[in-house]
Amino acid sequence: MKNRKILFAVILIFLVSVCLSVLILRHSDKQTIEIVQDGTVLYTFDLNDTEARNIRISTPDGGYNLVQIQNGKICISEADCPDQTCVNMGVLKSDYLPIVCLPHKLIVRFAEGES
Amino acid sequence: MSIRRMTELALLSSVALIIFVIELRIPNPFPIPGVKLGLANIVTVYAVFRYRSSETAMIVTVRLLLGAMFSGKPSALLYSAAGAIVCLCGMLLLRRILPEKQIWLCSVIGAMLHNIGQITAAVIIMQSFSVAAYLPILLVTGSLAGAFTGVCAQLLLNRIKR
Repeated sequence: MKNRKILFAVILIFLVSVCLSVLILRHSDKQTIEIVQDGTVLYTFDLNDTEARNIRISTPDGGYNLVQIQNGKICISEADCPDQTCVNMGVLKSDYLPIVCLPHKLIVRFAEGES
Repeated sequence: MSIRRMTELALLSSVALIIFVIELRIPNPFPIPGVKLGLANIVTVYAVFRYRSSETAMIVTVRLLLGAMFSGKPSALLYSAAGAIVCLCGMLLLRRILPEKQIWLCSVIGAMLHNIGQITAAVIIMQSFSVAAYLPILLVTGSLAGAFTGVCAQLLLNRIKR
């Protein structure tokens, strides 16, 4: 009996996560971007008002990420970290799913609330 | 600890490491940090059900430290270590409750705990709560991967009689 309860709990968690994942992966309609490094906000700007540019963000230990803004879209185009996950994530789309570079503690996300 | 025992543990650790290194060569179709098949955990699940708690912890520790070195990503060690510790504690407790036929379930819960540990570490290290949004996605992929490794471990346990 105990095992059945555990099984049900696992199935429940799984289904809830599936629903939440679908919600999280929806595209965002916000335009304000925030770039956060190690808990502090470095840049805040509006995607529509910003022309194409590249921002180079360095880490204290010598690493860097190149953030690229083009046609109202933002992505990390280059990084010198070994795993390159942030580059592979591509363009920022979702409200809840930021582009994260774990080795450099860098987050690119849509800002909370409208400004 | 007898030499025979020690050799067995060393062998299991190296098998886990080899699986880990081979898995690094498989391209990841999901560009989301933390999503992984985790094939090396077949060995972990096997060890949880065949060896003492302390011995399993030894295998996992060796796998983690050498794995971080071999993959060339020492910065990932903190995240994977946090996940592995939570996962191991959970699975060692579950071993007492679950019968041998439901090892796959133990592996699924272990995978979920691993992801929760990882995300907790990420929230603390990045000092930002926004990474927590990855948790549901990690839970879905993690429990699928966990079910797969669990079934593999179950087959192994059935084949390798003591």
